[in-house]
Amino acid sequence: MFLRQFAIGLLAAFTMSSVVFADETDVSIVPPAEGSVSIENGLDAFSRIYEVASHPRCSNCHVGADNRPMWSGPSYGRTRAHGMNINAGDSRIGAETIQCSTCHAYREGLNDTPHAAPQVAMNWQLAPVEAEWFGKSSDEICNQLRDPDRNGGRTMLELAEHLNHDLILHWAWNPGGGREPAPYSLQEHIDDLLIWGVAGFPCAND
Amino acid sequence: MQITVNGKIRDVDVEDDMPLLWVLRDELGITGVKYGCGIAQCGACTVQMDGLAVRSCQVTAASADGADITTIEGLGTPDALHVMQAAWVEHQVAQCGYCQSGQIMQAVTLLDTNPDPTDDDIDAVMSGNLCRCGTYPRIRAAIKTAAAKMQET
Repeated sequence: MFLRQFAIGLLAAFTMSSVVFADETDVSIVPPAEGSVSIENGLDAFSRIYEVASHPRCSNCHVGADNRPMWSGPSYGRTRAHGMNINAGDSRIGAETIQCSTCHAYREGLNDTPHAAPQVAMNWQLAPVEAEWFGKSSDEICNQLRDPDRNGGRTMLELAEHLNHDLILHWAWNPGGGREPAPYSLQEHIDDLLIWGVAGFPCAND
Repeated sequence: MQITVNGKIRDVDVEDDMPLLWVLRDELGITGVKYGCGIAQCGACTVQMDGLAVRSCQVTAASADGADITTIEGLGTPDALHVMQAAWVEHQVAQCGYCQSGQIMQAVTLLDTNPDPTDDDIDAVMSGNLCRCGTYPRIRAAIKTAAAKMQET
């Protein structure tokens, strides 16, 4: 109940049901009307969110406190830690060891070379350790994503906006180089996040 | 675009997406930096950009515009070797030598951020620079020698 009220409160705080943040992409952030999403539909939306979160394009860099990115997924052969003994350190950008940007350079445009280090127009980095997804269950990721202490203190709309402006996340749906993209689309993923949020952030373990 | 390479300002007229590696080698004739794999898997093309090691095959000319680049030629001269180059000579690190300029540029960056590295520290930073001759034990020894000499000065 608290979570549902939390979500509704957030919607009220933003006062509108058709907020659009389109600065970085053509993605629209339009939550469903308050009270229009059942818990069942919210759980369905989260099941799709989990497909994205657990996909290698996302989870390979959502790793735990050992700070070692992973290489896994259909285009990577067997699951293993990132080659070259890479450890991104507690900084999660490799400041203590070798910076991710040594190879994951700044690039505007597509990644079209197989096996090359993926690049986007921002600094490459691991996700925060609180958002450890690699190998985690649906319930574990669900509870993490709705916990402000572990989601960067973000509200539903702020989570959606985060998806809109973080270019590493955008890369997950257009990875190039023969890599399998994350499922669905960025817009569908944002829509699912909003559906899940308006439903009150339900998790299957509730 | 305009870049500073080894202390000299250079103007080059290239496509925005030309890799810095080819700007250095083909446009400016600076051939100490080597082409290995072209996909950031080997480290042979490592140079410093604004003080940090980068794989020059991955950096576009547009991204390097205005940057301060240091290549192996800018570290020291035969008469006045950089301490890392001197340690490389002392330990006779190179075998075929092809990867060594990249190795040295990465090693210099390592000591810039960690002046007294352990074996694990060295392995964490240097494992992205491949050497098919297998000179890794001598690379590690040379880095430790250079670190000790830099701490003396």
